Amino acid sequence: MSESFSVSLRPKIEKRDRPDSLPRDIAQINAQWGSFRELNEATLRQKIEADKHKDPWEEEDEGDKESADLETSERLDQLYKRRAEIIQFALQAHMEASFALDFVSLLMSKHQPRQAETSMSPFLKSAAPLGSLNAEVVNPPPRPDSTLKDIKSVSRGWRLQNFNSAASKLLNAGSRLETEVNSETKYWNEVLAVKEKGWKVCRLPREGQALGVQYGFLEATPLFRDRGLAALRRTDDGSLFLDKGLIPLKAQGVRVRMKHGDRIVGCSKVCRPPQDAESIESRILQARDTVFEEELFYEIMREARILGSQGVTTRQNLVQIPLSEEQEVLLDLVDRDQDRDPEAAVSSERDVFADSIAHSIRILLTYAHRQNLRRRTQPPPPLAPKRRPIPEYQILRPIMAYLQHKSHIQWLESLMNDLRGVLKSAGIACDFRSTQFDSIGTLQPNSLVSKVEALARVFLAPIQSTFSATLVTPGSSFRVRIRTNPAVPPFGTFYDISVNLPQYPDVQPPSHVGLQEEVSAILTHVVMLDIAASVPLQGHGASEQQSKDRLSWEVAYAHHGELLALGQNGQSKKMKISLSRDELTIHTIALGRNGGMGPVDATSSTMSQTWKAGLAESKPTLSEFVAQASQP
Amino acid sequence: MHELLLFASVSSHQHHELLQQLTGLTAMQPRHSLERRLIFKATRKPGLANTRGGASQGADIVRLNKMLNGQMFYTQVVGPVSEADFDGKSSSSESQDASMSGTDEVAGSSYDYDSQPWKLEFRDIPEAGIRSTITARLAASAALPKGDVVPSMNAWGYSFVTEYVVEGDVFIHNDIVIFLHRVLQYSVHPGQEPHEPRRQLPSFRELSPLERTGSYILQAAITVQDGGNQELMRTASQHLFGLREQLKSAVRLEHADRLSLDTRAK
Repeated sequence: MSESFSVSLRPKIEKRDRPDSLPRDIAQINAQWGSFRELNEATLRQKIEADKHKDPWEEEDEGDKESADLETSERLDQLYKRRAEIIQFALQAHMEASFALDFVSLLMSKHQPRQAETSMSPFLKSAAPLGSLNAEVVNPPPRPDSTLKDIKSVSRGWRLQNFNSAASKLLNAGSRLETEVNSETKYWNEVLAVKEKGWKVCRLPREGQALGVQYGFLEATPLFRDRGLAALRRTDDGSLFLDKGLIPLKAQGVRVRMKHGDRIVGCSKVCRPPQDAESIESRILQARDTVFEEELFYEIMREARILGSQGVTTRQNLVQIPLSEEQEVLLDLVDRDQDRDPEAAVSSERDVFADSIAHSIRILLTYAHRQNLRRRTQPPPPLAPKRRPIPEYQILRPIMAYLQHKSHIQWLESLMNDLRGVLKSAGIACDFRSTQFDSIGTLQPNSLVSKVEALARVFLAPIQSTFSATLVTPGSSFRVRIRTNPAVPPFGTFYDISVNLPQYPDVQPPSHVGLQEEVSAILTHVVMLDIAASVPLQGHGASEQQSKDRLSWEVAYAHHGELLALGQNGQSKKMKISLSRDELTIHTIALGRNGGMGPVDATSSTMSQTWKAGLAESKPTLSEFVAQASQP
Repeated sequence: MHELLLFASVSSHQHHELLQQLTGLTAMQPRHSLERRLIFKATRKPGLANTRGGASQGADIVRLNKMLNGQMFYTQVVGPVSEADFDGKSSSSESQDASMSGTDEVAGSSYDYDSQPWKLEFRDIPEAGIRSTITARLAASAALPKGDVVPSMNAWGYSFVTEYVVEGDVFIHNDIVIFLHRVLQYSVHPGQEPHEPRRQLPSFRELSPLERTGSYILQAAITVQDGGNQELMRTASQHLFGLREQLKSAVRLEHADRLSLDTRAK
């Protein structure tokens, strides 16, 4: 009795009825056949044969023969008597048994009324109330003191032990409840803290008993939207832990790197260093960021695949976007802790550039989410057999368009600057103006679209910049409009050039130019035409007397930059203007009196002048040179 | 185009709660909607129906006859309005006068009848029998020119009957458009019903709900491009039944009585 009372829940192992049948068989054989030796196959067969031939009714027949002696009436009498006797005995036995049963039942009904009632006869039930009979031990034989003492101490010990075990069980239960309450309190406090931070806490759809927190983005692709829900589970000590299911635990992020040649020159930084990695809040944040980043990369991949025609290549975990011949942007999904590329050279400017791309792709994905919300809340089109495919989000295209546009602007600006420098050194005053990204500046307030969306939308529209210049000849100017279309074909950048040359009204360049060389050729040609047209006007300001002495220039072959001057005495000169990005050159050649091509005196009458940008030499200006060349 | 529908009646005190439940279910804010609805009745022009004649009844003639002598229907012309259009500034008598005479311009009103966009909505009587658990009907709509629609409608053989206003909130749940709405009536003295659409709207407060208790109707609709496509129709009804299951604890969506949605003109 030292151990606490316990009930075994295991099934009792039943003992076999016949532990071993062989000893019993031997005993049976001994009893039946006398000795074991008597028993053999032959005797057994004989016995079986004998049993077969024996008439089973033989013995009865013998009895019948004996009784046949008795008289028939006597036999009947005796039969009835015996039968009555048997019935009487049976009835008596039944009555006594019922009396005994009733008695015992009545006695039992004192203590177990329900059970005893079932075995009572209806008569007893109506005659005597339940529990009306009791039995007690009357005058028990006196027990020896030692026995009494034993019983007393045993029962006391028994009771003490039971009290002890009950107390310890209660204590155990109490402490267990206490820890449970503590951990539940802790759990719920943490859940409350999560809720107070503004997270959406809800019941898990498939697991009604568990709580979950939703951190994902409702407008994301269903694949990622459904992942934005994690269960808030309780560990044994009550602290909260985030059960994200099968999602990899590592925090991941999209990394943007700049590649120049074979070297990595810039790398984007991680958005937020986890300051308190253990708190539930930061874990939720991390989970949210990871879902977002994975979706971002998924969408970038999806978009990159349709951009193959524009040189974008994809690897298993890498997207490469070419910017120029040497430069590339690399996008890949990496673990948060190794987001820094060890090979990357330290270059803060490139880092900033990579960072800005990294921010842009995230802003554009969020914008795409907003567009999804907008689309989702519009009345849907009628159900048709063909589902609308979800278009690829515009994430890479606007960035590529912007970068492409920017490089074109830079190129055109440097061309303009070069031309301006050349012209300036020649003393020609031209006015160049540029309005870069003028399509972005026109942000119209719209009541239907929120400001943030309107801001992002501007970058998805075709980007446009305008360059314009007024040239030397009064009223002549040109205008270049650069347009880059990110989303709709024709992709790429196009130059719309419009020229206004009063001297050559029929000169109009093709309006849609895509190649930089062509643009450069067109612009230098236009400027050259303008200079050629300006030469005959040089003398207009001079007095009549002076102009009489001078040769007056006529534009002969404007597109070749050739001018002719006929003096009063038949003397003629030819001027050739050639302009390139780097220099402006003017040759004048004196021609023969008869206008023949052969120069009369090449050495004395050939003049040439070249102006280059940025050279600080004191050179005659164009007008001075023309004036000089105009001397007969 | 076919339209599959389920309806439920929502009492006014349940309205707010149901709005919140639907907001949660569809994960969107309710879009408030106010619509003017004009009812037009098709009239048969005399002299057109008697094209029967001769033995040369080709297939075209048969079709033409069918079109001309077929059922006549009521149609609705729906125009979205905003609450600001219901001018609260003008006094009730003025606006009533305006609505009675129909042509007076009351100064200070922001509602411009001439730039009101309209949409013609035709709804057939619901199909009989086949899908008894859902209301399915042929539906078609077309945009109409802005402004006064009565002349063009008259030219097409429709005459103006009456008009009312529908106020409600729209939710979109995947392919299903959920419209929780009620019908509002203009206050009109008996015997003075106008014979053309109002050019001036009365104050919003003067409109009274058709259902005196102020209860709302919840309508869940899904449109199918091709009603002959059994597969699509089945998918659409399954979507609606899914919604019915989801809303089971809040409202009981069921099909409407076919004859109550009868649009045929007798």
